[in-house]
Amino acid sequence: MIELQGIGRTYARPTGEPVRALDGVSLRIDRGELVAIVGSSGSGKSTLMNVLGLLDRPSEGRYLLNGEDVSGLDVNRQARLRNAKIGFVFQTFHLLPRTSALENVELPLLYSDRASIKGLARRALESVGLADRIDHRPSELSGGQQQRVAIARALVNDPDLLLADEPTGNLDARSAGEVMALFADLNKAGRTIVVVTHDAGVAARCGRIARIENGRIVEEAR
Amino acid sequence: MSTTRLVRNSLRAMARFKLRSGFMMLGSLIGVAALTLVLSIGKGAERKILATVRQIFGASSIVVFSGGGRLMGGPHAGASRLTLADVEDLARDLPAVEAWDPQQAMRTVVRSGDASATARVLGDSERAERVWDRGVSTGEYFDAAAVAGSARVALIGETVARELFGDEDPLGAEILIGSVRFRVIGILERFGTDVHGMDRDDEVVVPISTAMRRLMNVDTIRAAKLLVKDPSRVEETAREVKRLLRERHAIAPGQPDDFTVITSLQVQQMVGRVQRVLFLFLPLVAGISLAAGGVVAASLMLASVSERVGEIGLRRAVGARPLDIQLQFLLETAVTTLGGGLGGLVLGTAVARIVARRMGLEGIVSWQAVVLGILAAAVTGLLAGVVPARRAARLQPADALR
Repeated sequence: MIELQGIGRTYARPTGEPVRALDGVSLRIDRGELVAIVGSSGSGKSTLMNVLGLLDRPSEGRYLLNGEDVSGLDVNRQARLRNAKIGFVFQTFHLLPRTSALENVELPLLYSDRASIKGLARRALESVGLADRIDHRPSELSGGQQQRVAIARALVNDPDLLLADEPTGNLDARSAGEVMALFADLNKAGRTIVVVTHDAGVAARCGRIARIENGRIVEEAR
Repeated sequence: MSTTRLVRNSLRAMARFKLRSGFMMLGSLIGVAALTLVLSIGKGAERKILATVRQIFGASSIVVFSGGGRLMGGPHAGASRLTLADVEDLARDLPAVEAWDPQQAMRTVVRSGDASATARVLGDSERAERVWDRGVSTGEYFDAAAVAGSARVALIGETVARELFGDEDPLGAEILIGSVRFRVIGILERFGTDVHGMDRDDEVVVPISTAMRRLMNVDTIRAAKLLVKDPSRVEETAREVKRLLRERHAIAPGQPDDFTVITSLQVQQMVGRVQRVLFLFLPLVAGISLAAGGVVAASLMLASVSERVGEIGLRRAVGARPLDIQLQFLLETAVTTLGGGLGGLVLGTAVARIVARRMGLEGIVSWQAVVLGILAAAVTGLLAGVVPARRAARLQPADALR
């Protein structure tokens, strides 16, 4: 489903040498996989995640999503693809403050082509076990609950691909376990999931691990 | 994608952030309120000045004051040599003069029973009704016979009537001016406050002859107003008036006049100067107030946008196009600037009404202020709200989310 061919990403810096965050990464992820991308901080794993999610443009290489080269698409077509095909889960949740769980989950639907969005957000919240929290604001929810709202938001448009960037980084062990169990269930139901993490425990629960160092994939293990 | 969905959602989001939306409104509210206030008061003052000048001088008239000095300068004491005969002869010798009225004035106490008031007492001829364009609202003006016979009849202004008689009808009542008994035969038409801030309803008008002989015991007059038939001949006639008066008063060449002649043209020129100052000054003050409001609004909006770069990044990540983000901020800016503008309009108008009433001005809502204020608020909102939001929307989402 995903094929990266020789992806490089170079950041210009106002002072000093440009930074080469990704250096010729090639990676293949098939439909239905649960893949962990691991590495220390500064290894380039977040940049890789941003490229996979069309949040950043590679400086070189090709990115094939469902067989289509998407790295060169214009901003509007990329936005459309993110909306319909990709769901994001962030370390810091990125929920809108003062806004109910339901309205947070509805956010991607605002930008969707769907004729009717009725009931979708409510069903997504039910699927992550938060049916009784739909009117709560983020400040009224625990960290684990907030991350589950974010997961419901990522799922609401039924995307092909779920991208999670350190999804357990801000959670206690129990909430982290719940989130990973949720990912395992979603994966069992056929969802393709990529988790970026530096937590070996989290990585161990994934079907495949790709290790990245200095912008290169150095090891792949099953 | 559904624009109505996005619009509804944006409005709900604004309602959730009441303080932020309120602050954004505050900038345009302050600017528009100040602008409305300044321009309304300015226009009211301008209209008042013009109305008073028209009433005093009309289209084509000459006013002769006894005493030298300059327009707007103080009169020279001890030079009161203007007499009724002077003006009578002028009017006879100058065919361009179609009507004239002599005037004498004093401030004195006016009494009725136990009530007393200090009023400006004017002596005029029966022609004053036409020459000064001010008649009576009730009762009758005194006639030529009353002037010839030095009749003790008086016309009183509304303020005097209120102070002496309260709610009672003053017509036919007796009043004492100084120690002389007069009968009230009319109420002067309402005038209001003049440009000097003087209440022109605090006046009593009596026949000029009565004023000179019985009240003041003088044989000179303070001023006279001459109406000229043909407006194009006013200046020429004024020169003739000067020449004839110097001749009659036997003033040697090189000596200053012992009278002052003012024409409606000179007054118009003076009013023009005043207007130019107003036209220059008012927009300046209004501009400053708008700029102040604009800076407030701009900084609040800039802060709001930079605080929300993360939100913009998130919206982009879940599928918003840059255009969707711009639409949202455009909408927020439109709602806040228009809301603030309308609030400012209401506030500015209300304050302008109060101030106008206190200053005795007409309350005028200046539509220029409305248009200019809302326009300026919109431009500020665009520059400070939409432009930075547009820049944030064009960032790579990954950068906006950081």
